[in-house]
Amino acid sequence: MKKYFKIWWMMSRNSFSMVLTQKFTLSIFLVGKILRFLFFFGFLYFLLLGTKNLAGYNSTQAIFFFLTFNVVDVISQFLFREVYRFRPMIVNGDFDFVLVKPMSALFRVLMGGADVIDFLTIPPLVIVTIYISTLMNPTFQNTIYYILLILNGLIIATAFHIIILSFAIITTEIDHSVMIYRDLTSLGRLPVDIYKQPLQGFLTYFIPVGIMMTLPVRAIIGLATPSGIFLAFVVGAVAIFISLRFWKFALRKYSSASS
Amino acid sequence: MRKYWQIFKISFQEEFAYRLNFILWRVRNVFQILLTFFLWSTVFVNPNTVIFGYDRAKILSYVFGVMIVRALVFSSRAVDVSTDIAQGDLSNYLLKPVSYFKYWWTRDVSSKALNLVFAAVEFMVLYFILKPPFFFQKDIYMLITFLLSVIIAMFLYFFILFVVSAVPFWAPELGWGSQFLMLIVVVEGLSGSLFPTNVLPTNLQSLVLATPFPYLVYFPVQVYLGNVTGLDLVKGIFIGIFWTFALMFFMNWIWQKGLKVYESIGR
Amino acid sequence: MDRAIIVDHLVKNFEVTEKEPGITGALKSLFSPKTKQVHAIRGISFAIQPGELVGFIGPNGAGKTTTLKTLSGLLYPTSGFVEVLEYDPWDRRPEYLKQIALVMGQKNQLWWDLPAIETFELNRAIYEIPRRVYEENLKELTELVEVEKLVNTPVRKLSLGQRMRMELVAALLHKPKILFLDEPTIGLDLVAQQKMRDFIYEYNKKYNATIILTSHNMDDLIDLARRVIVIDEGRLLFDGALEELVGRFAKEKIIKATLGSEDNIKEIEKIGKIKKISFPEVTLSVPRSTTAVAAAELLQNFPVEDLTIEEVPIEDIIRKVFKGELKQ
Repeated sequence: MKKYFKIWWMMSRNSFSMVLTQKFTLSIFLVGKILRFLFFFGFLYFLLLGTKNLAGYNSTQAIFFFLTFNVVDVISQFLFREVYRFRPMIVNGDFDFVLVKPMSALFRVLMGGADVIDFLTIPPLVIVTIYISTLMNPTFQNTIYYILLILNGLIIATAFHIIILSFAIITTEIDHSVMIYRDLTSLGRLPVDIYKQPLQGFLTYFIPVGIMMTLPVRAIIGLATPSGIFLAFVVGAVAIFISLRFWKFALRKYSSASS
Repeated sequence: MRKYWQIFKISFQEEFAYRLNFILWRVRNVFQILLTFFLWSTVFVNPNTVIFGYDRAKILSYVFGVMIVRALVFSSRAVDVSTDIAQGDLSNYLLKPVSYFKYWWTRDVSSKALNLVFAAVEFMVLYFILKPPFFFQKDIYMLITFLLSVIIAMFLYFFILFVVSAVPFWAPELGWGSQFLMLIVVVEGLSGSLFPTNVLPTNLQSLVLATPFPYLVYFPVQVYLGNVTGLDLVKGIFIGIFWTFALMFFMNWIWQKGLKVYESIGR
Repeated sequence: MDRAIIVDHLVKNFEVTEKEPGITGALKSLFSPKTKQVHAIRGISFAIQPGELVGFIGPNGAGKTTTLKTLSGLLYPTSGFVEVLEYDPWDRRPEYLKQIALVMGQKNQLWWDLPAIETFELNRAIYEIPRRVYEENLKELTELVEVEKLVNTPVRKLSLGQRMRMELVAALLHKPKILFLDEPTIGLDLVAQQKMRDFIYEYNKKYNATIILTSHNMDDLIDLARRVIVIDEGRLLFDGALEELVGRFAKEKIIKATLGSEDNIKEIEKIGKIKKISFPEVTLSVPRSTTAVAAAELLQNFPVEDLTIEEVPIEDIIRKVFKGELKQ
């Protein structure tokens, strides 16, 4: 554990120092990400000015859904940015070098390149989220539920990234599956209550966007049942279990580049 | 002309060669439609709701209109131009007796043709599943104007793309960054794909309408739905044409500068 | 332990997708992709002792790299038995991986935009090398390959030769007992090639390391490999000393004769295939089985002053191996 934390720290430092030498690229992406956030935020804001509520949630709550989505999304991008660079690794065979190292290959390709740009956006995002949450006067217990469910959401996100990596080993395709994952989770920018069945069921159980992003907010508002929260953790555990099995399966199918 | 027909055919086949990429790209489009569709259905769950001058039928027609217009305007192969320049592959084309712009325009058209077919199928499937109230424009005059506005939008997008793609002439490492900023963030945010531009407050709205972006999606869809007529219609068409020519001249200018830099470095 | 590596009836198949030309073909593959089995290795067996330096040769696509990758645990064997240092490579146990290294020419594990020292430090953490041992190894290796002054230069600014040597340092910091080298000299200039060979030789001697080397470079094999394993189309054709390769595969011998006069010189082609004539030297190639007869005839019918019988040069045989011209 200590070894892995140390390695993670070294790799993150390396990837930070690489990005920081390209200040211009860094600022372009930073501006882009902030703008994207503001466009949707602005749209939601103006929309709520007109409607006053969304699917039974008041404006503050609706905005809090959007912020919670961003917290889960940005943190998982910060941690798992290396996933986006996995394809070249597979195509030109550099993945071979990862495999021959006495270290979990999965750890290396999942977390080997933490993203400094996302890292910079985390603190302001978290501060705004905390501020909005205080406007809703949550109880202490519900706040704990919220935090635990966010962590659970991150675990499910981890499972999805592992599945994406496994697919990439089998098909050498990754860009689109990452994008599909992101498009699907971006449906969680708003509470999944707005979607009709069967899409809502799909988003709750199959791609559990609802559990990742909607449920934490419902919990802090006090709308989640204990059994629902328990079920969420079960889903998280099952997801990570399945993804690890799939990763093992994919490695067996791995046919190194030059062969 | 024949060589461009060949380019068209080869380009068409290439999309199939990367079939997984193509299918997934279409799937992504469906998701985006779903998000906006359900968002608006929730907002307009009460059939009598009217917000920003839209009722349920109008806004859902808008979402479905976006689907078709996006397939026509945003599907493009020329996104690869930026990488071509950064990696020096542009030289391969400069040596050949084809016009580089026409070459990519042909490939874009082939991509648009293919995407339109798939978008039409998706449209029908979603239409039967979701059963939205969709407005079918029957006025032939309006349909022609719609077609005109889509053609303007396609050229407009092409020129925006080529202007953005010129960035790597000076800074090869900024290729992807500038595409992200302009095409993914600004174009997606302001074109009207996410929300119709007129939900914004009036002063913000007129500001956005002065930029080229709403003429990519918002304006053509509104023309189709018959929401812009008379003087506004003429004004919109003219602003679109103005931006198309302005960007075309700008593109030519910046590419001439860029090619000089490119040749002097000898990449 | 008397066997460092054991391979027994190893088989590895790959599945590849096929595409048909044209739009209809593209459409077809869209809905029902066709796959084909590729037999990369069709059952090969060999064993290698600790400290051996073995050359692995064969034409392109013979299955050399696939074998190396299976041995280092990257590929899962379709069937057969593989054991290295008494481990199953596929398990990729850290204890096993800490004892091996895989080096592939023209591929790199170094962080491109950073100085090589950053990769070394990272490998130190990954391989859990104690600080003191690490410092020692680093000093020794960088001096051996003469890059000690370059470790703080960003990798992208190094020449290919310098980079390859850095790769070696990165791969060997943990002092592996087994080394898999895949085309280690590819793309290097002659001086750099020689340096690389000297290093491999030294490393093998000094640490009694077991080394398997694939190469298309003649000099690599002649300078380094005492034993060679020849494979072609996934099958093992030969396993033995480099010198024996000639005896095993050369169907001819070479007779060199010095003649006293040019009389009857045209008749000489009846005895064997003329490889070279520059009077008074004549070089003939004759079938192995009839060498003695041919020599006797030559001595009898021609004014021979001197005569030697030689084996075909090893280079010719290896060249044939690379072209895939050797068959069972």
